[in-house]
Amino acid sequence: MGALLQNPTQAEQDFLARFALEPVDGERQAAAERFARAGLPSRRNEAWHYTDLRAKLRAAPPLAARPDAAALARAKQKLAPSDRLSIVTVDGYFIRELSDDLSSTPGLSVRALKADEPALKSLSRGADDALLDLNAAFAQGGVAIEIAAGAQVEKILELVALDSASGALSRFAHHLVVLGEGAHASLVETRAEGAEGFGDSALFVSLGRGAQLDYACRSLEGGAVEVQNFVARLGSEAQLRAVSLLAGAPFLRRQYFVSCDGANGQIHLSGATLLRGREHADVTLTLDHDAPACLSRETFKYVLADQADGVFQGKIVVPPHAQKTDGKMLCRALLLSDDAAMSSKPELEIFADDVACGHGAACAKLDASQLFYMESRGIPRAESQAILVEAFAAEAFDDLKDERLRDLLSADLALLLADGAFT
Amino acid sequence: MLEINNLHISIAGKKIIDGLSLTVADGEVAAIMGPNGSGKSTLSYVIAGRADYEVTEGSIRLDGVDLLDKTPSERAALGLFLVFQYPLEIPGVTTMTFLKAALNAQRKARNEDELSIPDFMRRVRGAASKLNIPLDMLKRPVNLGFSGGEKKRMEILQMALLEPKFAILDEMDSGLDIDALRVCAEGVNALRSKDRGLLVITHYQRLLDYIAPDSVHVMSRGRIVKSGGPELALELEKSGYADYIEEAA
Repeated sequence: MGALLQNPTQAEQDFLARFALEPVDGERQAAAERFARAGLPSRRNEAWHYTDLRAKLRAAPPLAARPDAAALARAKQKLAPSDRLSIVTVDGYFIRELSDDLSSTPGLSVRALKADEPALKSLSRGADDALLDLNAAFAQGGVAIEIAAGAQVEKILELVALDSASGALSRFAHHLVVLGEGAHASLVETRAEGAEGFGDSALFVSLGRGAQLDYACRSLEGGAVEVQNFVARLGSEAQLRAVSLLAGAPFLRRQYFVSCDGANGQIHLSGATLLRGREHADVTLTLDHDAPACLSRETFKYVLADQADGVFQGKIVVPPHAQKTDGKMLCRALLLSDDAAMSSKPELEIFADDVACGHGAACAKLDASQLFYMESRGIPRAESQAILVEAFAAEAFDDLKDERLRDLLSADLALLLADGAFT
Repeated sequence: MLEINNLHISIAGKKIIDGLSLTVADGEVAAIMGPNGSGKSTLSYVIAGRADYEVTEGSIRLDGVDLLDKTPSERAALGLFLVFQYPLEIPGVTTMTFLKAALNAQRKARNEDELSIPDFMRRVRGAASKLNIPLDMLKRPVNLGFSGGEKKRMEILQMALLEPKFAILDEMDSGLDIDALRVCAEGVNALRSKDRGLLVITHYQRLLDYIAPDSVHVMSRGRIVKSGGPELALELEKSGYADYIEEAA
């Protein structure tokens, strides 16, 4: 398998041993070989400087197998009824029998992802990341959601990621969302895989010319160690509005690899991350303006209590041919405790001369004068703080065009703040 | 009734209020006038309960209840209201949400039921129309991008909705043009009643032309140096504060 790692950690040995046990081929084999050379990323990798996965992941839990009937029964109990169109996965495997029957929804196709789906490789071309490689080597049984050109899916699609409650496992999930030319859809990803084990999931998104996707990720209970990958490519005039709400994350890295492949695309990436205790969450994005006249806005908000640790890294690449690029990136953190920490690293790589690109970062405490003003109106301190925190975080949801997704995230946020942990 | 007795206040070791005593009866409108730096705004903040000030001696009572061991929100629920000299902007929180949170928090503290939405809306509409506040403004974040006059009208709107037992107006006239001053003063006058005391803090006689006080007190170097009727304000307008600054020294 080529030049192997020097002094592999237990976790790296576990993963490598599993490759050896289960011979893979094609792209999976190539990805496995890349991982075997690079290993898990650590502080020494610039892109992972603030999230030392190699140190954190001591050993790799056993690989999740396709869930059996008992596992599905356990997962089903966690499934809450909703008026959204549910597509359910358990431990990363698409489970048709737990999903809604979508065969009669016009323009929509939901099918099992093929073992060696070429779209995944094509969408992640240019992304060089060990966790994407690990995902490519191990993930199977995903789902492909395809919306035909010109189709408009009225109801919200919801990708529900459940676990089988089988103890600590390594879960690898990969799913594909394709919107044809001019198609419109709203997608919610609800992640509820429990707090155990290791997760390395990837959502691959392809937007055809003029397609529009509103996407909300609700991640309120992360695994002990979890990596979420969001890989997207946009055709010309396509619009992507992707917003995440991250909380309950013991150790989470969410990474975006997004590229504008055609002119006049619009990208909004936003998120609110609320951490408490010793939680750690890292949002890292690479946005490639690979075409002229595209617009991008990134707004990431962090609310950090106790000893929580927030990380934001945003890299925007504007090659010479991407004239008239309009980009703005903003990261703001609210520190509710003296022991909370925020690391923010914006990177702009601009090689075109006729562009408007800017970034900003700020860390602050709650404003004492605002709090006093609210208290002087009779609103008790804890409630005043909760109102200010909610207003601060909810601003990240404004980018969504679909009000229903905004309401969903706002309701999650209100629930999250209700127990007083962020005051 | 508001009773302040022998109040001493320091901030970072520096004495700001130095043995101030003042009583304002129910239904009375008392004015405190004084030069810059005499401690007027500090007094209003301390009565409302702002932290960062050290009360070293004395007491503040509202209707016999000691305020000093109460939080700002508890004081508000007891019926205290402060019109801020510089009302705060709160991005992301609509005025409507803010008003509802304040009203219901006070009602909860007094063991009253929360207002129903229609009842709340009826009250807000009534109070807003009296102050020429368009309802659209209430859908915007609290005070964000409002003019000085709009901010002060918003303060009076809050006062009208919260129906305090006692209100302090901290330099309500600052940042207001004549027309805005008149609207705000009319709003305050409409809230004068025999049960409600008012403490009007100002530099200038001008405000007192609109809100006629029953008593006037001159403050200098952290204490009341002279008390009298409305004529005292007119006298100050002519002669200035110089005499009193020397007197206090």
